[in-house]
Parts: sequence; structure tokens; C-alpha cells
Amino acid sequence: MRLHALAGRKILFAVTLLLAVFAYPHSSPAQMETVCLQCHEPQPGKGGAPVKKWRESIHAENGISCHDCHGGDPKDSANAMSPARGFLGVPKESAIPAFCGRCHVGISEDYLKSAHGRALGKGGPSCVTCHDAHATKKVTLDIINEKLCSRCHSYDRAAEIKEAMRQTETLITGIDRSLQEYKGQGVDTDAREKGLFALRNRYHRLFHEVDTAKVKHESSQIQAELQKIQQSLDKVNEQRHRRKIAGLFVIGASLLAALLVHLLRKTV
Amino acid sequence: MMIMKRISEWFEVRLGYKELAEKHLTGYLLPRNINAWYSLGSVLLVIFGIQVLTGILLLIYYVPDADKAFRSVTAIMNDVPYGWLIRMCHAVGSNMMVAVLLLHMLSTLFMGSYKSPRELNWLTGFILFNLVLGISLSGYLLPWSQLSFWATTVATNSAGAIPIIGDYLMQFLRGGKLVGPPTLGRFFAAHVALLPLAIAGLIGAHLFLLERIGVSAPPFGLKETKNSWQGDQFRHEDHPGGIPFFPDYLLQDATSIMIYLAVFFSVVFFSPNIFFPVTAFMPADPFRTPAHIKPEWYFLANYQTLKIFPSELLGLMVQGAVMTFLALLPFIDRGKERHPLKRPIFLACFVGGIIIYLGMTIWGHYS
Amino acid sequence: MQSSSRRTFLGICLGGLAAAGAATATWPVIRYLSPRSVEETGGKVSFPESDVPADGAKFFDFRGTTGVVVRTKSGQLVAFSAICTHLGCIVQWEKDKQDFLCPCHAGRYSPDGAVIAGPPPKPLPRLPFSVTNGLITVG
Repeated sequence: MRLHALAGRKILFAVTLLLAVFAYPHSSPAQMETVCLQCHEPQPGKGGAPVKKWRESIHAENGISCHDCHGGDPKDSANAMSPARGFLGVPKESAIPAFCGRCHVGISEDYLKSAHGRALGKGGPSCVTCHDAHATKKVTLDIINEKLCSRCHSYDRAAEIKEAMRQTETLITGIDRSLQEYKGQGVDTDAREKGLFALRNRYHRLFHEVDTAKVKHESSQIQAELQKIQQSLDKVNEQRHRRKIAGLFVIGASLLAALLVHLLRKTV
Repeated sequence: MMIMKRISEWFEVRLGYKELAEKHLTGYLLPRNINAWYSLGSVLLVIFGIQVLTGILLLIYYVPDADKAFRSVTAIMNDVPYGWLIRMCHAVGSNMMVAVLLLHMLSTLFMGSYKSPRELNWLTGFILFNLVLGISLSGYLLPWSQLSFWATTVATNSAGAIPIIGDYLMQFLRGGKLVGPPTLGRFFAAHVALLPLAIAGLIGAHLFLLERIGVSAPPFGLKETKNSWQGDQFRHEDHPGGIPFFPDYLLQDATSIMIYLAVFFSVVFFSPNIFFPVTAFMPADPFRTPAHIKPEWYFLANYQTLKIFPSELLGLMVQGAVMTFLALLPFIDRGKERHPLKRPIFLACFVGGIIIYLGMTIWGHYS
Repeated sequence: MQSSSRRTFLGICLGGLAAAGAATATWPVIRYLSPRSVEETGGKVSFPESDVPADGAKFFDFRGTTGVVVRTKSGQLVAFSAICTHLGCIVQWEKDKQDFLCPCHAGRYSPDGAVIAGPPPKPLPRLPFSVTNGLITVG
């Protein structure tokens, strides 16, 4: 692309600059080499293990480093772990939801309301029981699995919840995909996209709900709403089908007219 | 029936239309060996008519305001009954117009019809071609989509490569340093008023010249294919014993038009999106250039030419030279022979030119 | 002779096809240009009661035309189409005289919409409305 006159270059330059600024935490070696990492990474056993786990995590991917959760001073090795610099260290079990909830506000609320959250400190799971403290991954529905759940209770109810969620998720991703496709073909999808966004949020708020009946009830409601969006897309499809049939008639009529005129010319 | 006859008589004694019809329709004789290629002019007239009609209809709901243009086009496509059809006809029609125009020019070249005394026919036609490219380019911006915005940025950008005045010329075209709301205003005015008027006027001139000088005979199936005009005095080229325009050739025109419409509607109804990449349905965002922005297919060859030359100026100069050569072709090519097979150099250039053009277009598409 | 009858036949076929084509081309254009129906432009209009000044009038768009709500001296609310039945001008509410005046040809209507004076042939059409929780809903 020859965007290469001054004006175009200026824009490109500005865009690149912006991107560079936003991309900074991901790729900057200075960020990676905080004093926390410098000391802990080479340590054997307990001291270095969290670093290795963190390297593979969604947090590392998004540039969230040790001090973002544990506090302290990442630039000053002498005072890195000084409480005066805001160092928090390892939270007690009962403090974990609040610890994570500083960023994951809505989710910690949902969790605390659920049976899991209410059982915190009484043998119930905290955030890290399922998500791990350092090897935190982007969550898929597969986090609900027999191995994990049956550490504490039978898997039956969890499986039911998972099934209800899976159906909703399949619907959402399917509709999302078709919406993007239709949008690329000129269909006005704004209202439907907003609807889907709201429904996806409702669905996300179910993630930490463990009441089977409630999950099922809410899921069926969300699914009914999703079906409505799907139906409106089906209507668009039907309309397109009708247009094509009409098109066939128009094209056929044009060709027939061409033939008739051609024959007529032969008679004169 | 009596009353009809009385009415026609009333007009006849006042206008003498029977004589007019005799002169321009039944008595207007065309060469016996005329072929279907001669009907492309009529097809183009029909296309232009469809563009004007659909364009006027689109004007009813289109809002030429940078904040509202995209929304209004989306509404035409989704909310206004049959708006999609009108808009698709207009957008597909513009592409078809360029394509048929290219065929019309190629057939004129191939049959040597541009040769004297028809230099002016060629020249007006060539200017028309450029105006059609201009009206397509200006119309491209109006939906104010990402595609519109960035394709226009790229297209107006190349003007900046011209030495000294380039930068000012580019800003003049855009109405500012970058493409923005002022660009929309001027492109809109050019697209809906200036260029249609200019095109209509030149079509009038083109048809006047055709009528005044007379239709050229195709060089095929004739013993003598040399240009017989001496250049000493005006001569209307008659074709005694030829076939009448009405009804014979008008029916050929109608056949071609109907075949064209069938092709046109096939695209409109079955693959309208070949001219609409995804970026055509995203609102223009001056802060985000989408990847893979390409000009329309009929500018791909120009686009690729600009890319292969080391400097943009050189690329522009080569294009300018080619266009000037084509515009002045009848003044440069003064040979009398019109049959392509008896003009090997011309034929080689003709075929070579098409291959280069197609090659550059395909290269531009995949680059 | 055969050629001529064939020509007539083809001519009739083409004429029919042309007529059908013209109709097919005209229909989308008429639909394209047709004004949107009432359902599409929204049937009901709502605004707070406080928008109608004491002793005054409020004009509003109603299904593509103009409506007016008036609070008469007695405090009663009335709603009418504000289009004069004579030639379609918009009537004005005259506070002091407590009547509607059409400025075009001095047609006058009572607060009930009945013609008092001037050329209007028919009374102003009443608009159905309701007031709930301080919200006036017309339609």
C-alpha cells in the first residue's frame, strides 16, 4: 500500500507510536526483569516455582507481574519486600477472594454469593483451588471437570451445570460468528450485537454460581433470548433466499427477452 | 382509431416527424457488415440511464454528512424497502459501466474505427472514459466506510508525487491535509452534479459526432479495408444499400441490452458482495487503517504501476505518458489500413497492451 | 405471410414481457418512495404533564403530523390534531380568547374543536390520550 506521502506517514507513525506505548508492558525487557524475577527465578524449589508457573499464565501474557498482585517495589531489590513499599506477600486463605477481587470485581462478588464462597474457610474452595495461584489460565468450560470437582464433592451436579453452560456457550459463539459474517455482508447487526453482548454478560455472571437449579433456569432464559436473535438472523436468510428466487425470474426474463428480440430481428 | 389518426396528423403537419423518422430511423442506413460490438454504445447509454435513475433515488435517503453518511447508507441497505436493490444496482452498475466502456474502446481500437476523420469521436470517448473513472472514484467515498475512506486517501495521495504543485494539488482535492468531512462535501458535489452533467454533455457531443460523420464500416469481410477519406473536404460517410437502423439494428441493440441486463442482474442478485469487502461495511475511522486496502479493480493496474517504479513520480509519469498516447492515438497512428490482420505492429501492441494491463491488474490484486 | 404472423406473435410476446418488466421495475421504486406506515414511525407519543404550561398549549409530532395538547382555563386537558381542516395550516392556541385560531384564513375553533368562525368545513379531530403518573400519552 502506497500510503507513503507525508500525510499517510504521519498517521501511520502516530498509530505505530500508540501501539508501541500500549504494547510496552508485554514486550519490554525492563518490565520482565523486575527485581522480583531476578531473585526468585534462579531459586530452587518453593522460591522459584511460582515464577515458572507464572511465565505460562494469562497474567504474564497480559503483562501482569508479581508486584501487581503482591505489591512491593519491583525496582529496588533492597526494599522490594518491604511492607512500607506496599508488599503484601502471600494472602491468608480467607483473604484470597479479596486479593484477586481487587481486579476481578464482579467475579469475586459472584463467587462470594455462591455456595463455594459461603463455604470459604469452612473447607470450601477459594479462587486458587480451581484457578491455581500462579499458573492461571484463560478459563474455558473445561475447568469444570471430574478430576477437579471430585476433590471435594461428587461430579454429578457439576456435570449438569457444565452441560447447561456448554449449550449456552455454543449458541453464543455460533451467533457471534454469524453476526460477524452478516455484518461483513452489509446487514445492520448493531441492535443484535448489543443484545448478544448483554446476554453474554448474563452468561458470564453464571460462572461462579453453583446452584444447579438456578444455573439451569437462568441458562434456559438466556438460551431463549439467544434463540430470538438466531431467529431474526434466520429471517434475514429467508429474505435473501426470496431475493435470489426473484433474481432468477428477472434474469430469466432478460434472457427470454434477448432471445425473442433476436428472433424478431430475423423476421425483418 | 380515427381519433389516433387525427392526433398523429395534427402533430405531423406541425413537426413533420415522419420525415424526421425517415431520416434518422428507417432511412438511417448502417454498413451491411455491421456487428454486435457496435451495440455497446447503446448498452452504455442504458447503463448511464440506470445510474442516473438509481442515483436520484439514492439521493432521497443519503445524507452527505461525515457523521451521518454511513448510517444513512446502512439504513438504505437494511430499513428502506428495496433500498438494497437500488443501492446494489447503482454500485454494481458503476463497475459494469467501466467494464463495458473498456470493451467499447477495445472494439473501436481493434476495428480501427478511431482513425481519421473520427479523431474527435475517439477523443470525446476517451475523455468520457476518464470522467467515468472520476465519477466512480468520487462515488466510492460517499458511503464513508473504512474502504471508502482509505481507498480515497490512497487515490488522492498519488497526486502528491507531482513535483512543486503536488502537495497543494493533493490538499486541494481533499479540501484539507487529510481526507475528512471537507473531502466528502466536494466529492459529493462532483459525483452528483458536476460529473454527471459533464458526462451527459460529452455523450451528446459523442453522439452528434457519430451522426454527423457517419458510422464507420467494420474492416471485416470487405475487399477494400483502406481508409478512403482524403481529408480535403467534409464527407458524411453513407452506406447505400445498408441495413436500416430501425427496426434492424435497434433490435440488435435491444438484444445486447437484454443480455447485458441478464449479466448485470446475475451479479446484483447472486454475488453482489464481489465488489464489497468487509471493510465496506465498517464506518470510516481516520485513526485506524485497515489491512489490505486495495483500490477498485479498474485502478489495480495503475496502483501496481505506481508500486513497481522506484519513485512514485516516475510511475505517475509513465501512466500519464500511456494515457496521453492513447488519447492522441488517432493523431499519431495516421496509417490508412484498418484491418487488424494487415497491421501486424498495431495488432502486437494491441494484444501486448491487453496482456500487460491484465497482468498488472492481477499482480495488483495479489500483491 | 408466415414471417409476418411470426413477427406479430413475437411482437405480442415481447410487448407482454416489456409490460411485466416495467411493472416489476416500478414496484420496488414505489415501495422505496412510499412514506413509512404508522407502525414503523411509532404509534404513541409521551411527555410529562408539566410540559403543557398552565393555560397554554404544547405542540408535538404525532404519527407524522402535528398534534396539540391544551390546558384550558378550567384546568382541563384536551388534545387535538393541530391541522386546520380548511387548508392544512397549523392552528394556534389563543390564551386570552380561549380558542384556536388558524392564522391562514382566520378560522376559529372552540376548545372542544368545534368551528366557531371562518372557512373550516369540519371540527378539529380529537386525539385520544391518557394521563398516568404525570405522563401524558397520546395515541
